[in-house]
Amino acid sequence: MTVILVFLSAAIVNNLVLAYFLGICPFLGVSKRLDTALNMGFATTFVMTLAAAITWLINNLILVPYDLPFLQNVTFIITIASLVQLVEMFIKKTSPPLYKSLGIFLPLIVTNCAILGLALFEALREYTFLEGLFFGVGGGFGFTLALVLMAGIREELEFAEVPESLKGAPMTLLVAGMLALAFMGFAGLLSV
Amino acid sequence: MASRSLYSEFTKGIWKENPVIILLLGMCPALAVSNSAVNGLAMGLASTFVVVSASSIVSIIRRLVPAQVRIPTYIVIIAGFVTLADLFLKAYFPAVAKSLGPYVPLIVVNCMIMGRAEFFASKHTLLPAIVDAFGTGIGFTWVLVVVGVVREILGSGSIFNVMLMSEDVFTPWVVMILPAGAFISLGLMIGIINYFKNLKAERAK
Amino acid sequence: MSFKESSAGMITVMTVVAIIVGSILAGFYQMVSPRIEANRLAEEKRAIFSVLPEAKDYVTIDLEVGEGDDKESLMIFRGVDDDNAPVGYAFVSEGPGFAAAIVMMVGLNINTEELTGMKVLEQIETPGLGNKIAMEPFESQFRGLKIKPAITYIKNKKPESDNQIQAITGATISSVAIVKALNKTIKVLMPFILEDIRNPVVIERQVEEEAVPEPKEEEK
Repeated sequence: MTVILVFLSAAIVNNLVLAYFLGICPFLGVSKRLDTALNMGFATTFVMTLAAAITWLINNLILVPYDLPFLQNVTFIITIASLVQLVEMFIKKTSPPLYKSLGIFLPLIVTNCAILGLALFEALREYTFLEGLFFGVGGGFGFTLALVLMAGIREELEFAEVPESLKGAPMTLLVAGMLALAFMGFAGLLSV
Repeated sequence: MASRSLYSEFTKGIWKENPVIILLLGMCPALAVSNSAVNGLAMGLASTFVVVSASSIVSIIRRLVPAQVRIPTYIVIIAGFVTLADLFLKAYFPAVAKSLGPYVPLIVVNCMIMGRAEFFASKHTLLPAIVDAFGTGIGFTWVLVVVGVVREILGSGSIFNVMLMSEDVFTPWVVMILPAGAFISLGLMIGIINYFKNLKAERAK
Repeated sequence: MSFKESSAGMITVMTVVAIIVGSILAGFYQMVSPRIEANRLAEEKRAIFSVLPEAKDYVTIDLEVGEGDDKESLMIFRGVDDDNAPVGYAFVSEGPGFAAAIVMMVGLNINTEELTGMKVLEQIETPGLGNKIAMEPFESQFRGLKIKPAITYIKNKKPESDNQIQAITGATISSVAIVKALNKTIKVLMPFILEDIRNPVVIERQVEEEAVPEPKEEEK
C-alpha cells in the first residue's frame, strides 16, 4: 500500500518539477515539441528508476554501515554519470532505432538535477528498497507528465500573440507558474 | 585570451552573460531557494564558492586530465567542493543549512558550474579562470537575492527577516513563497529586463 | 599514443582525483563532525527545555518499541531539577501533516496527566496557513493540556474542555495531524514512562562537554 502512495506522491502531489524545482533545465529546454518531450521523459524515467535502485543499494549497503554519509553526494553523482554512460552504450548496441530517438537526450540527463535530487531525497527519507524503487518510477512519471503538459501548452502558444519581451523563456516560466498553481490543487492529498 | 581583458571576463558574468537571466542555467536553485532574501544570498555565496574553487582546480590540472574522462573528473571535483560547502554550513550555520536542505548538495548539478569548468576553466590559465568564475558567481548571487527580496516582500511582508509591514496593513501574497510564485516572479523579471533591452535596441536604431 | 591518452592513464587520473577528493572530504568531515553533532545536541536541548520549563537538566533513555519488523528505537528524555528529582518527560512525536511529516518535541508533567509544552521542530506546511502550527499562539495551547482520555480538537470555537485545542482556521489538517500524532505517541510511550517513574533507569551522567549555548527564545 505505501508503495502506491509513494508513487502517487512523487508523480502528482509532490511533483518533482512543479513542487521541488528539480529538473528545470530540461523542463524549459526540451519542452518545445510534444514528441521530443515524451522521449526525454521516457529516457529520464528509465534512468531514474535504475538510479533509485542502485543508489539505494550503495547508500544502505556501503555508506550507512561504514558511516560515510559525507560521500553520498560524490558517489551518487558518479553512479548516475556512469549509469547514463552504460545505458547509452547498451541501447546503442541492442537497439539502434531506440538509440536514435533517445540517444541525444542521455548525456543531458547527467546534469538533470531531478535524478540526483531523487537519490538524495530517497536517502533522506529512509525509504525501503521497494518504496525507493516506486519513488524512482513515480518521480520519472511525474517528470514526464510535467514535460508533456508543458510541451502541449507551448505548441499551442506558437499561435498566440505573446508580448515581444515575454517571448521565449519568460513566457515559459509564467506558464510553468500556472501549472504549478494547478498542481497545488493536489497538495495535501498525500504526505508520504 | 589576451584579446579580452580580465575586467571584461569578470563583468560578462554579471550582466551580458548572466547565468540565470540570460543563459538560463542553474534555474533549479534560482527557483527553489529564492523564497527569502537570506536563502537566496546563502545559496548564491555557496555556489560562488564552489564555482570559483572548482574552476581554479580544473584550470590547474587541465593539462593532466585526458579529454575522454574530463567530464567525470570535473564532476568529482565539483561534488567534492559542494560537500565541503555543505559540511561547513551544517557546522557553522545550522539554521541556514536547515532552510536550504537538500538544495545545497544539488549545487553539483547546477549546469552553470559545469559550464564554467568545461567551456572556460579547462581552456584558460588560473587567473582568468578565477575571474571568470567569480563574475559568474556574483551574477548568479545578485539574481537570487533580487528574486528573494521580491518574493519575501510580497510573500511574507518582510525583508531579510525584518518585518516591513504588519499583517493588518498588508495581507501577504502567500503564493509568492510557493513554487508558483517562483516561476512567475523569475519569468516577469526576465520579461522586464527583455523589455528594457528591446527599448534600448529600438533607440539605437 | 602518450600515457595520458591510454586507458591506463585515464584510470590513473580518475583514481588519483577520487582518492584526493575522498581523503580531503574525510579529513574535513572528521574536523567538523563534532561541531555538527554539538549543533544537533544544542537544538535538542533547547527544544527539551522549552517544553519542560521546570527542568534544569535531562537524561536520555533509549527504548526499543515494538516487535519484529515494527521494531523501532525511540528515546524519551527525563527532565530533572537541580536536585536530580524528575520533573517530567519529553519525547519526540512525528506524524504525517499536510505536505510532509511534522516532527515535534512534547513535554509531559510528572503526574503524566497534562502536557507542559509542545514545540514543532520540523514542518513544511503551507506558508501563511499550515505553518502557523509552529507559532506561539498555537503551540501555547498545549501548555497545561490534559491528555486523558485523549486530546481532541474543535473548529472555529474556543476549546470547551481542558483536553481540547482549537484548530487553526484554514489549516485544520495540519492542526489535526498534530493532535493525532500526539495521541498516538503518548499511547505508545506511556507504558515506558510509567515504568521509568516506578523504576528509574539509572544512567551514568555524561561528562558535560563544552558549554552549550543557553536555551533562548527563537521567536522574533
